[in-house]
Parts: sequence; C-alpha cells; structure tokens
Amino acid sequence: MVLTGRAGVLAAAGVVFVALVMPSWAGVGLVVAVVLVVCVVDLLLAGSPRRLQFSRDGDNAVRLGERAVVQLLVTNPGRRVRGLLRDAWPPSAGVVDPPHKLDLPSGERRRLVTQLVPTRRGDRRASRVTVRSIGPLGFAGRQSSHEVPWTVRALPPFKSRKHLPSRLARLRELDGRTALLVRGQGTEFDSLRDYVPGDDVRSIDWRATARRGNVVLRTWRPERDRQVVIVIDSGRLSAGRVGDAPRLDHAMDAALLLAALATRAGDRVSLLACDSAVRADVRRPAPQDVLPSFVNALANVEAELVQTDFRIVVSQVLERLGQRSLVVLLTGLDPAVIEESLLPVIGPLLRRHVVLLASVADPRLTELESSRSDLVEVYAAASAARTRLDRDRLTATLTRAGVTVIDEDPDHIAPALADTYLSLKKAGRL
Amino acid sequence: MSTPLGRSAGESWRVLRTPLLVTGLIVLAAIVILIATSARTSGPFSPDSTDSDGARALAALLKNHGVSVHSTETLDDAVQPGEGKALIIGPAGSLGRHDLERIAQARWSHLVLIRPGSRALEVLAPGVLQTGDVLPSRSREAGCDLPAAVRAGTVTVSGPTYSAPAAAVACYGDGINNTVIRLEVGDRIVDVVGTPTSFTNAQLADDGNAALALNLIGTHRDLTWYLPQFESTDTGTDSAGSAPLIPPDVRYIGWALAFAVLVVAIWRGRRLGPVVAERLPVIVHAAETTEGRARLYRRSRARDRAAAALRESALGQLRKAHGIPQRAEPSAVVATVAARTGRDPVMLYELLYGMPPLSDAALMSLSFELDVLTQEVRHP
Repeated sequence: MVLTGRAGVLAAAGVVFVALVMPSWAGVGLVVAVVLVVCVVDLLLAGSPRRLQFSRDGDNAVRLGERAVVQLLVTNPGRRVRGLLRDAWPPSAGVVDPPHKLDLPSGERRRLVTQLVPTRRGDRRASRVTVRSIGPLGFAGRQSSHEVPWTVRALPPFKSRKHLPSRLARLRELDGRTALLVRGQGTEFDSLRDYVPGDDVRSIDWRATARRGNVVLRTWRPERDRQVVIVIDSGRLSAGRVGDAPRLDHAMDAALLLAALATRAGDRVSLLACDSAVRADVRRPAPQDVLPSFVNALANVEAELVQTDFRIVVSQVLERLGQRSLVVLLTGLDPAVIEESLLPVIGPLLRRHVVLLASVADPRLTELESSRSDLVEVYAAASAARTRLDRDRLTATLTRAGVTVIDEDPDHIAPALADTYLSLKKAGRL
Repeated sequence: MSTPLGRSAGESWRVLRTPLLVTGLIVLAAIVILIATSARTSGPFSPDSTDSDGARALAALLKNHGVSVHSTETLDDAVQPGEGKALIIGPAGSLGRHDLERIAQARWSHLVLIRPGSRALEVLAPGVLQTGDVLPSRSREAGCDLPAAVRAGTVTVSGPTYSAPAAAVACYGDGINNTVIRLEVGDRIVDVVGTPTSFTNAQLADDGNAALALNLIGTHRDLTWYLPQFESTDTGTDSAGSAPLIPPDVRYIGWALAFAVLVVAIWRGRRLGPVVAERLPVIVHAAETTEGRARLYRRSRARDRAAAALRESALGQLRKAHGIPQRAEPSAVVATVAARTGRDPVMLYELLYGMPPLSDAALMSLSFELDVLTQEVRHP
C-alpha cells in the first residue's frame, strides 16, 4: 500500500476540522474514518501492478563513457494503471532518467526507454522494476516489483585507439609496401628487386646479380603469424589508482592497442588476465574477432586483493605457446613482488620466448620528488626518490635477466608498448 | 514477460498470521503477569505488599482485630464522606493543596498521616511543623501520656521529626523533635507519624511496634488505606478563577495531528522499490606506500635515510648527465662534477658524500643544494 500527498493534505485538513468544528473524540474518529475510507476505496479502484507483464529489448554492451539504451515493454492486461514506474539499476550503471510516469489503459502496451551511462567496467544487471499504481482519486495506491532480467556490459573504453593510425603507418613501412631496406635475423625473404642507390649493400644478392647482369637486391619482410601473449596482472598491484583510473584499466588500454596492432601485423594474439587464478582467457581468436573478444573478456576483470602467483602465470603461458613468441607482462614494478615471485620462475619463459614487462608508472612520484619547499615535502621527496631508485634497480636486474622493461606513465604506456613491439619486429627478434 | 515479486494480500496474511498470533499471545501473557504481580507488591507501605517495606502484616493484624481495611489509590475514595471512619494516608505520592483541602472537608473522624510533607501538615494538621532533624533508628520510650503510646511501651522509631503545638500530644522524642504527634482539629483526631518503617513488615514485630500501630490506627471499625499516586490533579485553589493555560481541546487536536503525521510518514516513508546494493572495487592510490613511508621518515626523524635517498637520486642524475660510470669512486665523481660545474670539490664532496644532516634545517638546506646541483643538469 502507498499513500500520496493528497492523503497527507486530507489528514492535515482533518486536524483543522477537529480544532475548529469538532474538538472531541467523535471528531477525531470521524477524521480517521474518512481518511481510511477514502484511501481504502482508492486502493481497491487502483489497477493491479502485479498483473503487468514486462519484456526488455535494447543494448547489451556499451563502451565505458558512452550511452546505452534499454527498452522496457509494459503490457497491461487488467484495469488501467496510472502512476510511476522505476527501472532500478545499480548506481554504477548510471541511470539517466528519473522514474517514468505511467498511464496504461487496459489492454495496451508501452515502450519505456532507460538510458544508462555506466561509470565502471563490468556487467551491470538490472535490478527490479517497481510499479506504483495510484487509484483514480489520487489518495492511495498499490506497489509491486517485478524481476525483468537484463545485463548491460560496460566494456573497456580503449582510449588509446587514437594512437593506432600512426602505428599502422609505421607497420606498413616495415611491411615492405613502402621501400624497406632492413634485414634482420629471422626475417623472411620476400622478393628480389633492382638496386637503388642508397640501399644497404649487405642486402645485395650476389648470385642473382651474377645471373641477371644488373645489381639485384633481396628484400625482406617482417615475419608473420607469430605468437603474442598478453598477460594482464589483475592482482594486488593492479588495484593502485594512477591518475583517475586503476593501473589495471591503463594496462587493459595498452593491451588493446597492442592487440589491434599485432593483429594488423599478421600475428596471433592471445590474452590472459591472471592473479592467483585465471580471470580472463582468450586463445588466438580469428583476426576480426580479436578486439571484440578481448574487450568482452576484460569487461568483468577487476583487481583482486591477492598476490599474483607468477608460477601460475608462467605455466599458463608455457602451456599455450609452442614456437618462439612474444610474452607481454602488464604488471607493476614492485621490487618485493617481482624479485620474490617473478624472477625465480621466469627462467623457462626467457629461454624460449621474448619477454616484455610493461608497468604503469605513477606521475605522482615525479611530482613528489620535485617539490621540496618545506620539511614535509622534503621527506616525501626522499621517499619518492627511494621508490624510484628501487624501481631503477629492479629494472636493471630485469634487463640483465633478459626482460625488456617499459615503465611509462598512464598517457604514454600504450604507445610506448606499441612502439616497443614495432621495434622488436623491425629488429626481427620475434 | 516476468513474474511479480512480493506477496499478495492473501499470501501476506497466510505468512504473517502465525507470527502475529504468537506475538499477540506473548504480549497478552506479559500484560496478565504484570497485572497479577503488581497487585501484590505495589510499593512501600502498601497493605498488599509482602516486601520488607510493605505493610501487609499490619493490614492483616488490623483485620484480625475486626477492622475492615479498604485499600485504595484513587483520590475519589479519600474524599468521600468519612464520618465515623478512619483514613490513613501513605508516605508515597504527592497531593496538591486542592486535593488535601478536599480530604480535610471529607469529615473523617480519624486521620493518620504517615510521614507527611509540609503542605499536608499545613492543611490537615495545622501547627505541626517539620523540624528537619532525622532520628536514627533506635528503641525509645514513649515519653508522653498518650494512652496508645504508654500501653505500647518502647517502640523502635526512626525518620523525620516534627514539632507539636501546645495543644497536641507529642511522643517518641525530646519534646521538640517528635515522631508521633496526636492533635485534635475540630472534632477530628489527626495522628502524624514520622516513622513509617516501624509499621512495615520488617519491623512490626519489634518492641511494641505492633501494639502502637493497633492502638493508634485501629480505633475505628472502618479504615480507608490511601496510597496517593502522582497523577493527582493540582488545578484547585492555586489557579482557581484564572483560565486554564492549556485548553482541554488540545488533546483531540493532538490525536488528530498524530494521525496526520502517521499518514504523512507513510506517504514519505515508502520508497519506489528497494535500494539497489552494489559491490564496489577496492581502490588505493598507487603512491600510497610511498607517502606512507614519507610519514614514517618524518615521524621517526629519519634524516639519515632521507638524506641518503636524496643524495643517491642526485648522484644517479649526475652520473647519467656527465657520463660517469656506475662504479666510479666518489673522488672521481666529485672531480668530474666539479670540473663540469666549476664548484669547489671539497664542498661538493661534503654535499654528495658527507655526514647525515643533524637537524631538520640541515636536511632542508641539503635538499635545496642537491636540487640546485641537479637543476643545472636537467635544464642546462
């Protein structure tokens, strides 16, 4: 049962009535009786919200920061229902619309539109649809809730998409569609062409030159169909907020840019999100499916407050790799974690594969280190300096072990990772 | 299509009737028990109370001697016509002046006031005053020629004392401070008893307490035992003539207002559907540990560690900028930097490899000097 403002006004008018006309028990009783009778009659005349039928339609997924539209179809087989309808979603689904006004005559159907702008990644499940049906007099009504399931998946935003065109252009240069003069270990022979002044003389194919009579050059193109495994650490370290998003989200952004680039370069990309258990796992999807499947798999990955178990990571990676591949670890450069957990187990990985470790650096540390106007800030600067020195030492250790380390702030991590990939490819190290 | 959640009215009734019934029974039982027990033990000096401060023993004693005891807590019983009857007013409660005057006008033949207050004395026993002294509990001689007291002998008395006018008989005291006073007001006998504990269940058997009680109180066949309650209305002579401050209609308006508030509360209190809960992710600032360590440095005044970190950081930048190898000796580093920047080597050595600063000011100046040195490297 629901009462409305009118019932409140009626009861308030009853107070005036008792005060001025009938200051007695009879007056009080009369007021109570009138209010109750009016409300009960109204309640009985109100259309039943329980008998309404619902179905849903609309968007299933939306990129974070964009708008999803979900429709709700309400059918009324019973008496006319007037009142309010609230389509309830969790707070982070970002419902834009206020509760809908509903006026649904018998036998009709309405389409109500709810707009969502999710504020966090992940699945947002619709909660209940609550209908409040107010009686014809407007004093009281009935209310009931319905479960009308629907899920909108908020996908990672892929903000670094803007860096893709320039990197693809560089990839085309590598690809030999523009004149490519490099050669490197492990690159594939492509074709022969005439020597042009300025070409690297080491690329001259002397046999062919002897056969043809003019100087002929071998061209190479970067190898294709290589394996790239992107591992996103979803453990404790990735929960730290850098700028306005957790490290995990920056890592996802970088992973998506790398995946897009590597797919265009003809490589097969796999994805693994892992802490003490595997949270997302996509194995070598077809090239056109790479981005959708990655984005889908990453949508629900949240940072867990556990220590990442790199033994699981390494065994998972080894299990899915045969040939020589590129393994990209997106994690944090925390000396304690990396030295105790990653370094002891990374050996098998380094023996066969190229390992790249990318970490999102925190610009706040630079900020802390550079401002030294009072004693508090000097201590903070000293602490930040200590953190950076530790990281530098760790980077040196990793580099000695054969790991390529990228440590960039959130704005630069994705392009830096893409550039490192391109330079590895250019050097033929894949 | 979907199924409605929540229960219909019929389902609600079926689900709720058993708990409602049980709750109702429990409440009912509690009320019954409360009434049944409170009747027997209703406070000090009650003729029904069997507690040590009750007076059931006295009431029983009086009944054995043929006195009919009528126990009451309502003022109406105390102001009925009382010719030939006795009224005993208990020590608890409070009576207004108007109520006391009504009792005075009720023509009781015998009034017994147990530990009365000054207002009761003024109206019912004029001339008797509270002295403010309190007697310790002790066995005492009557010390007067009141027949009831003389026959009772020694009595254990205690409590507040009163001073008597010349016409009255004062007992159990030193002549000025007395606990039992009998005086005649018009054709009525008034007894003022300052010692209620003497007649309670605990002490009635001591000394001549019972005898005194019987002689004092049991003089009439019909005794009304009145224990005043606190709800006695005091709208009598004090404010007589002036209009009442609160009009009697107010309570009806109050009830109507309460009903209106209830309606408004139901109107405002009902939400449009339940609150949707959500599991939130844990988010910490990545620099949290660094800032925490900074606070630790500061609290423990770890100037040496802070200085070491700053120096090491500056050295790292200098090495990179001037191409000094990692394992270079301090003297070589200082020599190179001095040559490039034109600074005094001794000062430079002190700055880069010196003792830890001994004061906060020294740390500040060290940090400043290092900053200046590396600024040149960063912005040549």
